[in-house]
Amino acid sequence: MCGIAGIARRLGGGIAVEPLARMAAAIRHRGPDGYGFYTGSHVGFAHVRLSIVDLAGGAQPLTNEDGQVVVTYNGEVYNHPELRRELESRGHVFRTRSDTEVLVHAYEEWGADMLRRLNGQFAFAIYDATNQTLFIARDRFGVRPLFYAQRGGDFYFASELKALLASGEVSAAIDPAALDEVFTFWAARPPRTGLKDVQALEPGTYGVWRNGRLRLQRYYELDFPEATEEPRDAIERLDELMRTGIDLRMRADVPVGAYLSGGLDSSITATLAAAASPHQLRSFSITFEDPRFDESEFQRGVAQNVGSAHAVASMGHNAIAESFPDVVWHAETPLIRTAAAPMFHLARLTKSHGIKVVLTGEGADELFLGYDLFKEVAVRRFCLRRPDSLSRPRLFDRLYPYLTEGGRAGDFWRRFFLDAGPPSDPLFSHLPRFHLTSWIKEFYSPQFSASLTGVDVLSEVRQSLPTRFFGWSPLNQAAFLEMTLLLSPYLLSSQGDRMAMAHGIEGRFPFLDHRLFEFSAALPTGSRLRGLKEKEILRRWARRILPTKVAARAKQPYRAPDVPSFFGTNAPDYIADALSADAIRKTGIWSSAAVDGLVRRCRSGRATGFRENQALVAVLSTQLWHQQFVERSPSSRMLDVAAADVVLQDAVPVAVS
Amino acid sequence: MHTHETQVRERVRRYLEENFLYMRPNFVLGDEDRLLERGVVDSMGVAEMVTFIEDEFGIKTSDEEISEANLGSLRSIARFVCEKRGMIAA
Repeated sequence: MCGIAGIARRLGGGIAVEPLARMAAAIRHRGPDGYGFYTGSHVGFAHVRLSIVDLAGGAQPLTNEDGQVVVTYNGEVYNHPELRRELESRGHVFRTRSDTEVLVHAYEEWGADMLRRLNGQFAFAIYDATNQTLFIARDRFGVRPLFYAQRGGDFYFASELKALLASGEVSAAIDPAALDEVFTFWAARPPRTGLKDVQALEPGTYGVWRNGRLRLQRYYELDFPEATEEPRDAIERLDELMRTGIDLRMRADVPVGAYLSGGLDSSITATLAAAASPHQLRSFSITFEDPRFDESEFQRGVAQNVGSAHAVASMGHNAIAESFPDVVWHAETPLIRTAAAPMFHLARLTKSHGIKVVLTGEGADELFLGYDLFKEVAVRRFCLRRPDSLSRPRLFDRLYPYLTEGGRAGDFWRRFFLDAGPPSDPLFSHLPRFHLTSWIKEFYSPQFSASLTGVDVLSEVRQSLPTRFFGWSPLNQAAFLEMTLLLSPYLLSSQGDRMAMAHGIEGRFPFLDHRLFEFSAALPTGSRLRGLKEKEILRRWARRILPTKVAARAKQPYRAPDVPSFFGTNAPDYIADALSADAIRKTGIWSSAAVDGLVRRCRSGRATGFRENQALVAVLSTQLWHQQFVERSPSSRMLDVAAADVVLQDAVPVAVS
Repeated sequence: MHTHETQVRERVRRYLEENFLYMRPNFVLGDEDRLLERGVVDSMGVAEMVTFIEDEFGIKTSDEEISEANLGSLRSIARFVCEKRGMIAA
């Protein structure tokens, strides 16, 4: 796992190493173990390395036998030994044991078709000097990030936005439409990012840059075949996929640990990882001092079951506020909730125990319909079939018992779901969430609202949906929206890659093995969500490996306390500064009178609702993000080129330490 | 129109403006406007509003009474509060 960056110039003339050294410095946290550069006539690469596979021989950038094909790569291709054998049988000669070198030869052998053969999580760039073509690609589900910018025919790419800005050649103008997406969907929708001149390469997509032009092509599409019957061997097939998925992800030349939330998904990954590990498994958890959010009892129970050496970090009341500026710096986007902060602390805990790689349970809720949102779709449709029924809407109380404060919200609260929109709307499943999140927009300043004239982010999503979407069942439509709008751009990014890589930790996601996705998508929806019982088939299978109590435990929504952290007695000073009328006016995105009112309610302890909570996080994170990325000049700090592990010029090594 | 109903309605209006509409200075809340539909309160907001109404007007509200019919608009709130206090004939 690593960080990558690069520059390609249409007119050639040689790439200077200095901007590459600045870009690498900006993402050094992703690769603390080493770094390297390639500078050619048209293209230059930077690489910062977190060494996990082939510790001695895996330094980058790396070339093929004749030095004509160069790669800079972030990620893991788990099936690299199998691919290597196939490539060797076709005459390719390898110099290292690394999966990086497999990419180079796979590109030579299969070109872009190589991507279909990779099982992994990756973002990389390959430069082919024989035809002066730059090839960039990103994994199927968007586990690893890749951003790019274009200016006057020149092309820039990097694992993080801050590296693009550090080149000194990419501007940091905000994209109002992207922010409007954040305040609707929780994240900007790729290719949009918060910055107008920076795009995100979409998951499952590659790009070919040549002569100053970029051509994008999708190589992987999510599909849901809509089966009516569960295959007779479904449990056996699931067993094989889960076990091989974990085994593949245990491949590393360093010990692999596991995150434990206390829920079903991470219990599965930790249990199988412990069985597959040659060492005692190390596991890691976050707990909260606030007992309402504390799951430590379940975490300890799972750790005991799997026999792992378990480490815990407890989040105090001010921990979220104290780390929030760092969290925003690494997330590189405004946020509407603080759940990334505990993940930041979890990665720090993991690093402090000398572990670089962890398995984690993300993806299971999307594949096996685990989220309450999927049940909500079923209940809303059920209610709307009989709009006059008084008893049907009471199902919402069973769905969200923790949101109603002891039933004091009455039928108002049910109407929120029933009035969100008609089932004929393709976004039906997500409209309650989108409406709730969009309340943040009440705080926009008049000039920011004016900059959004003509922007309708919901219509844009409706128009972007593939034709096959309209043939899917409502639950599969919801799963598609969840995977494309939330999983990749928010969960795997702001809560996943960025928080882990802030501390040089690589997360691996067994549930996001594409074979497992394709298996789950081909199951009837009833095998995934039966009545209001989520992840049904996964639970049925998990009884083989987990104690019944764990396999049957209902999903707990992952929540973190927000407002009290920012307004307690020991709240950090930056909060008042960032929310001051002057700072709000300078940023220009929010109405200072509205923010004033919000802060007043937060200080008085009256902002207890979900809406004001998310508004506060949105305003504060936007202020921090704006200060860090838009107002501040990019860092001019460089890595020392003379101390690099690898320096290649025109693909010929000139210095290898 | 009953004076008491008007007083209750205006007191609740001021409360909603100060606590739920502070970010929307140009928002005009009509007496018949549905509070949930117009996004004035959400489910948490209802709980907070009910607590205010109970404290301010000295009434107790059962869970069954927390309904759109009783608390869905300024006018229905005013009528509900006055009925609870026995200020108008049922």
